[in-house]
Amino acid sequence: MVAGGLDRRAFLKAGGATALAALVAPGLAGRAEAAGFTGTLDMLAWDFQPDTIKKLVGEWTAKGNATVEVAVIPNLGYSPALQTRLRGGGVIDLYYNFAYNSQKFIDQGWASKLNGLPGVDDMVADMFESARAAYVNAAGDIISAPYFSAVHMMHYNQRMLKDAGIAAAPQTLKEVYDASKTLKDKNIVASPYVAYWVKEFCEEYLHTYLLNEGVTAFDTAGKPVFADDPKTEGVFEWWQAMYQEGLAPKSVLNDDPGKLSNQMAQGEAAFFVLHHYFLSSIRSLGGPESANVMQGPIGGANHTFQIGEVLQLGAGEDPARREAAWDLMKFYGWKDSAGKFTVFNQWAKAAGLAAPYPGFFKDPDVIAAFPEYFDLPMISKTFETGSKVVPARTLPWYPDFQAKVGDVVHALLLGQATPKQTVEGLTAAANSAQKGRSL
Amino acid sequence: MSTPMNSNGSLSRDDRRFGFRLTAPAASLLAVLLLVPTTLTILYSLHDVPANGRSLGPFVGLENYTIVLGSSVFWRSAKVTVLFSIGFVLFSTLIGLAMALLLNQRFIGRGLARALLIIPWATPWLMIGILWKWFADGSVGGLNAVLLMLGATSDYHDFLSDPNSALAITIVAAVWRQASFAGILLLAGLQTLPDDLNEAASLDGANLWQRFRNITLPWLRPALVTVTVLNIIYAFLQFDVIFAMTQGGPGDATQVLSILIYRQLFGVTQIGLGSALAVILGFVALAGGLITVKLLYRAERQPA
Repeated sequence: MVAGGLDRRAFLKAGGATALAALVAPGLAGRAEAAGFTGTLDMLAWDFQPDTIKKLVGEWTAKGNATVEVAVIPNLGYSPALQTRLRGGGVIDLYYNFAYNSQKFIDQGWASKLNGLPGVDDMVADMFESARAAYVNAAGDIISAPYFSAVHMMHYNQRMLKDAGIAAAPQTLKEVYDASKTLKDKNIVASPYVAYWVKEFCEEYLHTYLLNEGVTAFDTAGKPVFADDPKTEGVFEWWQAMYQEGLAPKSVLNDDPGKLSNQMAQGEAAFFVLHHYFLSSIRSLGGPESANVMQGPIGGANHTFQIGEVLQLGAGEDPARREAAWDLMKFYGWKDSAGKFTVFNQWAKAAGLAAPYPGFFKDPDVIAAFPEYFDLPMISKTFETGSKVVPARTLPWYPDFQAKVGDVVHALLLGQATPKQTVEGLTAAANSAQKGRSL
Repeated sequence: MSTPMNSNGSLSRDDRRFGFRLTAPAASLLAVLLLVPTTLTILYSLHDVPANGRSLGPFVGLENYTIVLGSSVFWRSAKVTVLFSIGFVLFSTLIGLAMALLLNQRFIGRGLARALLIIPWATPWLMIGILWKWFADGSVGGLNAVLLMLGATSDYHDFLSDPNSALAITIVAAVWRQASFAGILLLAGLQTLPDDLNEAASLDGANLWQRFRNITLPWLRPALVTVTVLNIIYAFLQFDVIFAMTQGGPGDATQVLSILIYRQLFGVTQIGLGSALAVILGFVALAGGLITVKLLYRAERQPA
């Protein structure tokens, strides 16, 4: 159950007579997709496999729908570029966005709420209950649709663990620390633990590791409750020890995930915590250790962070255009008119990305799309019961907090701040972000 | 042929009008391109501007400036900016001067060397940042290999992850480009220096240092003033190289004011605060440039 009574039952109940139909996706089956609009829709995406994006929207157009002009800009700097365009008066019908920006964009009039659009309640009801709060705010506003979803998982080198005499993959923070020490002391690998610790990403790790210790950083109202939990300081002590004791390479403060995946593939690291689909990258790199890298849940609590970047519907007011854009959004962020996960299936094939729908994991095409090294039932179970989305992440002040976390966490890792000071620093960052207008 | 000057050295009214007409198009364009954004930025800095920019938002007076000047983030960033600027201006100017002096000598391959001088200057700042990020990488970068070969280090070092070296490396990368720019301008100045001045000084027994100190340097002073002022402005406004290399990190070790402004204006869209920061930075860069001009010209007026 999430805030605002947005559990699956409530949605099906709200759908009333559509409850049965929700199972067969009535908003999808047999509809003529956006037949009333004949112009060109504008879509903006970041540059992850742009040819695939164009192919997918091309498939939608080929079904008798409007043409779509897809603009692609680099991922780094995407958010500033998007905001600059929208602030300049640009209207984009459909665009990728970071989940933490979604409520802010609604509040600024740059994106539309989806409530009342045909099939939207079915889409939300179709989601994992754990995922729903990322797309529906506490007031019941549906603010976005999924572009892709993922859960944070532990990637580990089984061969190295075996050589070090470690029988099973470490689970708790202490076990990971001990295993890393052993691997380093036995000269199996110099810096066993890699993490995507660049400034922009520290906020995501904050949630991953806190959830792993059973701490949800913010309550639904946005109060930074992590500050009151002694386990938070323990997580920061662990981070600092891993970095300061050389169990993680010094370069992780600047390394991109491509480099980290390659370090796993080449045998230069034994542990890597990041989104589940990075197993795909590690394996496909074909390094000497690629085949030895396995995936498992993080930590004994079996609670990890579920992330998902989103699609948002532009704020254009032309009804026919809006209807067409919503139809494209459903196709891209849910299912096609035949009720198939066409787009998600393609992303699963291309990069192991997932969708926050239980049906996605049961779809035979999707199962076939995932390489066999993925333990799909485990990932599905992690989505369902082993992960959270932290609803406060979509609150309008959140991007400000997100931007501040990197400096504070880097100071901790570099030994410039104690774990206690880090807790205080992050609490101050959250409070000042909520207060508005602060550096 | 008549001279445009009056007997008192001033231009006649007709000539002034003619001059005004000649400069009016360029002056108008400059007014539009500079004055309008500057005025808007100052206006924004006095308001709590909403992210969507559809209005100025409520007038808050100097509140944005109070928040900025009362923030430790600003002062840390200002310190980094000053350190970066000192290194950038000093080394860009000195290395540029050294290159200009060298390339003003006669040697085989001078033409090629002068052409090569243009390459860093012709490379975009962003590209320089990306190139140097790879060059300084701790595992695959060439910088470590060079330092190992020279015996300057005994092991590979992650320069950009170390707060003690990250700023220095960003300075080196930025200087690498800017020194060539300084070198080109100073070389142009050196080429106007008549040979007979140095020859006469040599006959009078002046050594190399004395000739440089008393002939070359005073001759180059106008070019040096231009180069130094431009370097100061480039230093305070530097963004691309640092952003490409470290994005301000690790921590806030390389977070110069321009990166802080970018974050406020385009990342978290606090337009009022970002504008106040931009006004402060613009003022600092302007003051830095003016003070330099004043100091260098004062030195010129003083008898040697």
